[in-house]
Amino acid sequence: MKKVKTSFKVNGNPVELELEPRRLLVSVLRDDLGLTGTHQGCDTTNCGACTVLVDGKAIKSCTMLGVQANGKEILTIEGLATQGQLHPIQQAFIEKQGLQCGFSTPGMIMTTCWMLSQNKNLNDEEIKRMLHGNLCRCTGYYGIVESVKYARKLMQKEKRVMP
Amino acid sequence: MSVSKLLVAGAGEYVDDIKLPNMLYMAVARSIYAHARVLSVQGGLNRADLKMTVGRVGEGGWGGQVNPAVVQPVFAQDTVNYVGQPVAAVFADDRYVAEDKLDDVNVEYEKLKPVMTIDEALSGEPIHAGTNSNIVRQLWLGEDFEDSSSPVVLEDEFDIGRIINNPLEPRGILADYDGDKLTVYISTQAVFSIKDGLAQTLKLNPSKVRVIQADTGGAFGLKSALYPEYIMAAYATMKYRRPVKWIESRTENFAASQPGRGVRGKMKIFAEKNGTVTAWRGEVTVDAGAYGGTAGTSSPFFIVMQLTGPYGIKKARVLATSVMTNKPPQGPYRGAGRPEAAFFRERMMDLLADELGKDAGEVRLINATTESFKSPLGLEIEASRPFFEKAIAELKYPEKSRREKAGIGFFVLLSALWGGESAKITVKDGKVDVWLGGNQHGQEHYVFVKKLLNEELGIPQERVTLNRGDSDMLEDGVGAWGSRSAIVAGAALIAAAGKLKKQVESEHGSYTLEELLKGNYSSEVMEDQNRQLNAFGAVLATVAVDKYGMVKVKECAGCYDVGRALNPKMIESQIIGGSVQGIGQVLYEGVAYDAEGNLLTKNLFDAGLPIAENIPKFTIRVFENPSWMPHGARGLGEAPTIGVPAAVVRAIEKMTGKRLRHTPVKPEELIE
Repeated sequence: MKKVKTSFKVNGNPVELELEPRRLLVSVLRDDLGLTGTHQGCDTTNCGACTVLVDGKAIKSCTMLGVQANGKEILTIEGLATQGQLHPIQQAFIEKQGLQCGFSTPGMIMTTCWMLSQNKNLNDEEIKRMLHGNLCRCTGYYGIVESVKYARKLMQKEKRVMP
Repeated sequence: MSVSKLLVAGAGEYVDDIKLPNMLYMAVARSIYAHARVLSVQGGLNRADLKMTVGRVGEGGWGGQVNPAVVQPVFAQDTVNYVGQPVAAVFADDRYVAEDKLDDVNVEYEKLKPVMTIDEALSGEPIHAGTNSNIVRQLWLGEDFEDSSSPVVLEDEFDIGRIINNPLEPRGILADYDGDKLTVYISTQAVFSIKDGLAQTLKLNPSKVRVIQADTGGAFGLKSALYPEYIMAAYATMKYRRPVKWIESRTENFAASQPGRGVRGKMKIFAEKNGTVTAWRGEVTVDAGAYGGTAGTSSPFFIVMQLTGPYGIKKARVLATSVMTNKPPQGPYRGAGRPEAAFFRERMMDLLADELGKDAGEVRLINATTESFKSPLGLEIEASRPFFEKAIAELKYPEKSRREKAGIGFFVLLSALWGGESAKITVKDGKVDVWLGGNQHGQEHYVFVKKLLNEELGIPQERVTLNRGDSDMLEDGVGAWGSRSAIVAGAALIAAAGKLKKQVESEHGSYTLEELLKGNYSSEVMEDQNRQLNAFGAVLATVAVDKYGMVKVKECAGCYDVGRALNPKMIESQIIGGSVQGIGQVLYEGVAYDAEGNLLTKNLFDAGLPIAENIPKFTIRVFENPSWMPHGARGLGEAPTIGVPAAVVRAIEKMTGKRLRHTPVKPEELIE
C-alpha cells in the first residue's frame, strides 16, 4: 500500500512519518510512536479508552486515520505530566478512586481535560453527560465524577490553565 | 511509583503494550455459522495442525468427568458449534496485515440446524456426534421429602439472560519460546491456571512454562480460563520460533469469550401462613453453550447448593442440569452462580409476601437463621437474623418501602475459599517483596498486603512491594476470583509472615524488625481452606418508571458485612462498581442471537454497558463482624452483584404492579 507523508506534533514534539492511509491514529500512536498509554478497548467507537486531544478537542483515536492528523497538535496521556509531576487531573483520579483496573483511565483523563477546558462550572449531571463517550466497567463512575470535581478544585487552586 | 501513579500516567504495562523483537501478530478465522459440518479448511494453522482439546482449568474449568466428545477442540474439527468458534489462525509482522491474511483462509461448510435455547437443547437432537443428549451433567441435590399439607404452595419460573463480562481490556497474550522455555505474558486473573492449562494441552513439562501477568484491564471472571487462542499462540511461537502476539477485538470478544449467566429456574415453595418456608423444590438449568467442561458444567450445582441462602429452610430437593446449545461456552461472570441463586430465592420470597399480604422484609426475617444451620442442599450458614434486623433498620426499609415503594434483597456471599492460595515473601537488602498465587486486576491487592505485613511483622509499608503475578516465583497458586483474594491470599500471607518471624527468632533468639530487614529471608505458604465462609448483605433500591417504561434507579443502598475492612476506599469503589453491574443486568445488558444463531449484539452499546448517566445515588453501610479467618475479613467483590438485581427488580415490580420473572427487564413489558 502506498504510504503518505504525514507530519504532526505529539505532546509538543514534531513527528514525521510515512503512513499507510488505512492506519488508525490509535495504531500510529501505540505501534509506530510507542505511546502505549492510549488504549484500545473496542473497535466500534464506544468505549473511549483511546481518547486523545487533537487541537484541544477530545477525539477517539480509533475513529480517526493517522493521516488525518497531518498538521495537527495531539496531546496524549503521556504529555500531561510536567517534569515528572502528575497533572492535577491525574492526581485527582488517584485520590478520589477514579480507577480500578486503569484501562479506561487515560481516556477518562483526556476527556476530563477537554471537559474542564470547555466549562468549569458543570454540575454532577452535566459531568455525567460529558462522560457518556467513555465507558468504565469497574468503578461504576461515581469515583470518576468525584475525580473530575476534585481535579477542577485542584486546578483552580493552582490557577492552572489547560491542559 | 505506586500502581495507581503508573496507571494514571499511561505507564501501565498491559499485554498489548509489550513489544518483543521480531514479533508476529496472530489473527483468528472464525466460524460464520452456529452449527455446521466443516467440509474443508485451507490456509493458516488449522485442524490439521492441532487436534487436541482445550485444557480445563481456572474458575472457568470443571475438573470432574465429562464426555471427551463434548470438550472444545483448539481448532474446530468436524463441526463448528457457535458463531465465532476458531477455525484457523494466520500470522504476519503487522496486525493490519495479519487481518488481511484472514482472506486467505477458505472454509467449506455444510449448514446444520442450530440448537439455541434450553428447551431446544432438552428436546432436540444432540449437537455433538458421539453423544445421546445435550445434557452435560445432571444431578439431584437434597433428600426427597413428602409434599406435606402446607397451607401455602407457590410456583414460578425465572430466566436470567446471558451477559458478556466486557472488561474494558479484551483478552490478549504474547507468547515467546526460546528453544527451551515457553514464556507467556498475559492479561489474566490466574497465572497458574494458564500455566497448568498450556502445559497440559501442549504436553509440556510445567517447569518449561512461565506465565507472567501483564497489567490486566478488568476481568470479572472472563480471564482465568484457558482459551483456544492462547494455545494457538503458544504453539505458533514454538513452531515459528518468533514471539507471537494475539490481541482480540471487541467484536471477537462478544463472539468468542465466555459470557456469564444464562440460567433458568423453576421454583416451588411450601410455607406456613406466618411466612415460614418449610420446603423447597426446583429445577435449575444452565445454558452451558457449545461445549462441556467450562464453568457452565459446574454452575448449576453451585447455584442449587446456595439456593436457600441465608434462610433456615429444612427440606429441599432441586434438580441441577447443564445443557449444551450452539452458543459460545458459558463462563463465570462476577458472582458466578451466587446472583442467580439469590434472584430465584428472593423472587420467591417476594411472591410469598404478596400472597400472604405481608411485608417482604418481615417474611425474610421470619426465615432468617437464628443459629448456625446447614441447609439440605449443603450450604452452611451462621445466624443471619441479627445482621438482617440491623440492616433493615439502617436502610430505613419500612419507611422507604411505604413511601417510595423500595424493593429489598437479602443475600449471603459464599467466598470461594476452596483450593486455598499461596503467598511468598522475600527479604533482601532491607526490601520486602511479595508474590501471591492469584493476580490483581484492579482490586489493589497491594493495600492488604502492606497492611497485613505491617501488622504481623511491623514492616513499614513503603518497604513492601507486591510484584506482578509470575508462575516462576511461586511453587503453586490458584487465582483471583470468587471474592477470595484478601481472604485466602491474605491468610497465606499471614502464615508466610509467621514463618519469617520464626526464622528470625531461631537465628537471633527473638524477633525484631531490625534483624528481619538486615537479613536475607524467604518463606512461601500454600494454604488450603476447607470451611465455608459467609458474608451477609442486604440491598434496598428505589426506582422511577416513566410512561415509556424507562426505569431510572434512584437510590441503591446497601449493608455489607465485610468482616473487617482491609481497604475501605476500595470496598466502597467495589460496592459501587458491582452495584452498577447489578443494575446493568436488570435494565440494560444482554447478548442476543437470532434463530439461526447469528450474534446480533455488535457493540458495547448493544451489549448494554451502563454509562455514567445511569448511576443512582448510593448509600453504603459497611459492617465489620470479624470472621474466623486470621485477618477477620469475609470477602466482598461479588457481593453487590448478588444483592442488587433482586432489590431493583422488586422495586420495579412495586412501582408498576407487574410480576417480573427475568432479566433484563425491557421497557416495553412495563407499559403493556
